[in-house]
Amino acid sequence: MATAPAAEVPAHVPPELVYEIGLTTGPEFLAAPHAFMAKLHETHPPIFYSVNPIAGNSWVTIKHADAFFTLRHPEYFTTAGATPFPRDPNNYFFFIPLEIDPPHHRKYRAILDPTFSPQGVLKLEGYMRGLANDLIDDFIDKGETDFTTAFGRPLPVSIFLDLMGLPQDMRDTFVGWAVNLLHSQDRTSAGLAMRGIEAYLAQVIAEKTMTPDDRVISTIIQARPDGEPLTEREIFGFTFFLFIAGLDTVFATLNNMWLWLANNPDRRQEIIDNPDNIDAQVEELLRVFSVTFSGRTLTQDIEMRGVQMKAGDKFSSILPACNYDPEVFPNPTTVDFSRPRKPILAFAGGVHSCIGAHLARLEIKVALQEWLRRIPDFSVAPGAKTEYWPGGVVGPKALPLIW
Amino acid sequence: MASITYVEFNGAQHVINVADGDNVMRGALDNGIEGIIGECGGGLACATCHCYVDDAWADRLPAPGQTELDMLECASAERKATSRLSCQIVIDPALDGLVVHLPETQY
Repeated sequence: MATAPAAEVPAHVPPELVYEIGLTTGPEFLAAPHAFMAKLHETHPPIFYSVNPIAGNSWVTIKHADAFFTLRHPEYFTTAGATPFPRDPNNYFFFIPLEIDPPHHRKYRAILDPTFSPQGVLKLEGYMRGLANDLIDDFIDKGETDFTTAFGRPLPVSIFLDLMGLPQDMRDTFVGWAVNLLHSQDRTSAGLAMRGIEAYLAQVIAEKTMTPDDRVISTIIQARPDGEPLTEREIFGFTFFLFIAGLDTVFATLNNMWLWLANNPDRRQEIIDNPDNIDAQVEELLRVFSVTFSGRTLTQDIEMRGVQMKAGDKFSSILPACNYDPEVFPNPTTVDFSRPRKPILAFAGGVHSCIGAHLARLEIKVALQEWLRRIPDFSVAPGAKTEYWPGGVVGPKALPLIW
Repeated sequence: MASITYVEFNGAQHVINVADGDNVMRGALDNGIEGIIGECGGGLACATCHCYVDDAWADRLPAPGQTELDMLECASAERKATSRLSCQIVIDPALDGLVVHLPETQY
């Protein structure tokens, strides 16, 4: 993902709250990002000002309650302009529904609520299981694979294509776009990927306007909120945002979880031995391996925990850290599948709470069940060194496994 | 189909016909009833669709599961014996006439 330019620290920020911790970019973060974020609770105040020449400056919180407060008060913390993604000003589009504040937000969200409800996503379960097994078939007999490229990437991309009504033979193309758009370090590759997606989706939107099906892109095209169809830019922004939101996040989440599974045979066995507890297992793994951050912009001056912030300031919830808040989750770094269920922040919260949350939960559940059924014992290949992607989606670059 | 009466905290009543297989949260969201938020979309992940089942109906609904009981601990408004997460009340014709009271806040 592209990065915002570094900015000066505003005069109203007290020097004692300014920290340069290399969030998402520094060597200490990249060595073990989740441990790094968990430890912030011991070393940093609940709200501080993060200075980062690469990722940009902003207020950040590591508290579960504060994150929910900001996410649930869009009147103070708007998503407008909070996504530093380069777009052509002459052909601008919004990430829909993320960049739309209430009340207009609901009209877009309602279009896809039935598709992404817990009941709606269950329609995809059979497809997911088949797909997971097809992928495993390709490498199980070799006794080794790179998890990220053989499973973690293609699984969510194929599910996305199916959901959208796009052909599966586009999988490798979409994988390439996703990698270049979200992880390339140069703007040329990202720009080329962007143009490729734009041209392809424009053609698909035209085709599905003529010949609709029952999948998501057609559902968006055929929606008539307030009696009117969405504009071409709205349809594109909606579809493109789903692509951005749903691919890298699940990819990174699966990679983090499988790294942990590979290194913790006893806990892997615990999951296998307690199949009826799968939903709690998925939820707890999502808690400890959350991968994203929620950026907002203040619409007005506000004080939180005695910290004075001003309109126009950037604010980010370090969601993985908030999920390690010891006030809410005692012994937060312990993976405990018997914790009482509480709201986690893996999917943010408030009206912009991830629409794909139940889809992601189901993908993770199916992936765990099918993988562990067929490959119950596995480990990281000897000598492999785990390196993490810098940037706003936290996960390892590669994960070579053997069994 | 069942006719569901939503009583807001200020006493305002809304009578809504909700389709079988939908749930009480969805009926509120689709009809602009603001006392229910349902931010997670009905998956026992947010506790923002809290409601109080009317006393007359308290014994007539299937009991909540353990996850729902856990999540009710996280509801913002006072928890009562009749507290439920409305996403877990699935509509069938036997619920025709159900009355639910909405709390002062979901946050």
